Amino acid sequence: MSLAINRRQLILGIVGAGGAAAGGLAKSAVAMEHPAHPVAPPDAVGMLYDNAICTGCRACMTACSEANGLPPETAAGMPLETALAAGLWDIPADLNAQTKNIIKLYREPDGAGFCFVKRQCMHCLDPACVTGCPFGALNKGEWGAVTWNSSLCIGCRYCEVACPFDVPKFQWDKWNPKIVKCEFCFDQRLKKNQEPACTDVCPTGAVIFGKRADLLSKAKQRIADARDKYFENRVYGEYEAGGTQVLYLSNVAFEKIGLPKLGSTSLGHYATKVTSVIYKWLSGPLLVGAILGAVIKRNWNRHEAERPEHEKQTGLRDQL
Amino acid sequence: MSVHRTDTTGSTLVNHWQYGVPVYDEGLITPTLLFFAGLAALGLVLAAARFFSPLGPFSGMNDAYAWGIWKTFNVMTLTALGSGPLAVGMAAWVFNRKKLHVVMRTALVSGFLFYATGLVALGFDVGRPWNFWNVMLPWRWNAESAMLEISICMPVYCCFFLAVENLPMVLERIYYTGSDSTKAFLLRWAPRLRRIYPFMITGAYVLPLMHQSSLGGLLLLGGNKINPLWQTPCLPLLYLLAAALCGLGFVTFLLLMSSLRYSRPLDLGVLGELGNLLSWTCFLFLAVRFGDLIVRGQFHAAFAFDKMSLLFLLETTLILVPAIALRRRVVCETPRRLLNMAVLACLGGLLFRFIPTTIAYMPARKASYFPALPELLMSVGYIALGITAFGLAVKYFAVLPGEIKDWNYMFRLVRARRQAVARKGAEPWPASLSTR
Repeated sequence: MSLAINRRQLILGIVGAGGAAAGGLAKSAVAMEHPAHPVAPPDAVGMLYDNAICTGCRACMTACSEANGLPPETAAGMPLETALAAGLWDIPADLNAQTKNIIKLYREPDGAGFCFVKRQCMHCLDPACVTGCPFGALNKGEWGAVTWNSSLCIGCRYCEVACPFDVPKFQWDKWNPKIVKCEFCFDQRLKKNQEPACTDVCPTGAVIFGKRADLLSKAKQRIADARDKYFENRVYGEYEAGGTQVLYLSNVAFEKIGLPKLGSTSLGHYATKVTSVIYKWLSGPLLVGAILGAVIKRNWNRHEAERPEHEKQTGLRDQL
Repeated sequence: MSVHRTDTTGSTLVNHWQYGVPVYDEGLITPTLLFFAGLAALGLVLAAARFFSPLGPFSGMNDAYAWGIWKTFNVMTLTALGSGPLAVGMAAWVFNRKKLHVVMRTALVSGFLFYATGLVALGFDVGRPWNFWNVMLPWRWNAESAMLEISICMPVYCCFFLAVENLPMVLERIYYTGSDSTKAFLLRWAPRLRRIYPFMITGAYVLPLMHQSSLGGLLLLGGNKINPLWQTPCLPLLYLLAAALCGLGFVTFLLLMSSLRYSRPLDLGVLGELGNLLSWTCFLFLAVRFGDLIVRGQFHAAFAFDKMSLLFLLETTLILVPAIALRRRVVCETPRRLLNMAVLACLGGLLFRFIPTTIAYMPARKASYFPALPELLMSVGYIALGITAFGLAVKYFAVLPGEIKDWNYMFRLVRARRQAVARKGAEPWPASLSTR
């Protein structure tokens, strides 16, 4: 069987591929806007977690695992049956490849006090993971939920390097590994007009669901109602890394409960502010190529002009 | 200052490299080659096993240090050494340093091998390689992702532009060993290859300018996790300059080592020119490095003498010493000193490229990373694969620079040997193959 492609078809094919590539770049060029301080879209939903209210009952963890079909995690090395027999069945130490949501306990070093913290994806307004993801497997979609698409992910784990909150997890023990992270219960609940499992089940209202703008004003009201109750009298997530859709109120320092100190500029802006100009319509590489090409062609022509004389002198063909 | 050296009559060291000549006076298989081939085989067997296994058992990577040495060393660090085709090529073809043309093949072959083995490393590092076919669908590209730029640009550069740049060397061998009809065919096609060659080398400089800077660009999204001595908007530019520095340094190193290994005379005019360019590249790198630190107000951190500051000072010293030393003609023209300086510059450049990926990378949660044994063996195996291939390439092809009289002597030797074994058929070339 022969693959009969004539020159015309070949050229058409190349032009077509080039056109498709240009289309892909054009589409991305439109999305290539990364303001330093992104503004939340009007439909952005969010969570507000207040550790002054949380009692650490971990109902949200169970609800999350159930809603997302995540297997329980036993202590390291302990078979599931043994753990179940001992009455322990889900005791993750941190977010991991089977834990999208966790309540952790923080105790002051002097033992004087303690508090809880809930960790899950922050659903950044301009997520670094989405900016880095080569084929758009991670996507910020409707209501601002950051979701993962298995058919686009090549498993490069750039999202784990990029995420300032150390949220995405990789299944190191699976041949067909997934990226595991909170997706705001997007498919499981949001699409069905239900709030996420964790906020739905929370008995004390420590974590609540709503429009990000509403939650932000609610949080600020709580701060105004009780001055100096909350750390730095501010909402974590309002500006961090350009702003997140999950917001925190804490009565201890944010760094102590594992919320990193971050600037207010979005990482996507920091990482693409120069390259988005250089690579716009590939103008930078094309310009550099044109300049280099002109110089190289000139030097090449000189080389070719000198070549016959040189070949005659040495009796050998010119080596490239 | 330019380094020129007039011939010293009677010297065994000072010669003129004029023409690529295969290594013809030793057998193809040597114990050293077998050693590296063994290491490469071990690495590749492990890599094959890795394909049928999850990543966990094969690596020390974890969710905090999600990138291990396959990415951070074999790709992000070692392709700097493989940037010889870019650095030497631009010096030769763009900046018209004509005497460097003769060492281009050494740069091209080594560069191709660094890239090719790096791509193999990447292929076994990604967790879901079967989804890579999405690269064929441009509308799925996330064009703002440095990772996308690299995953398209690097394979295209290696498998197309760099391969075409290496093609004349392969065709040359086919020409000299081939039948008359093969020769006629190649002679007919040679002018066409020459017609497209300048465009190919233009592409072969534009693409690595893009992806070598994008490798640094990858780390920008790492943000606060990377120590401020390394986390800077200038990372792409610095990664590119480090690639130029390592490329020049490594080609110098490789030429000196190969000449030593295969008893080739040296051309200190060419080597001195490489040393001279290396020195200026080191100065340029350091100027950008310090300028950036001062502008960002991190200059004090460089001299805090804590762990990160000491690493910075080590890396900077390794680049500063050759920069200054190679300004002196005597250093450029003394092979031993030039070799030492090239090694220092390469180590400095490699450290600069590696540190922000791993040592100065501090994820929020407490974790540590050290490569697992299979991970190390695979990483070493990829490098050994490159060394093995280089050892074969210098004998199959006219890679290493030599003198025209070497070339002519090789052909006389082949003829004599052929008569001795009274074997008919095509002229064996290079001679080392005729004994196998």
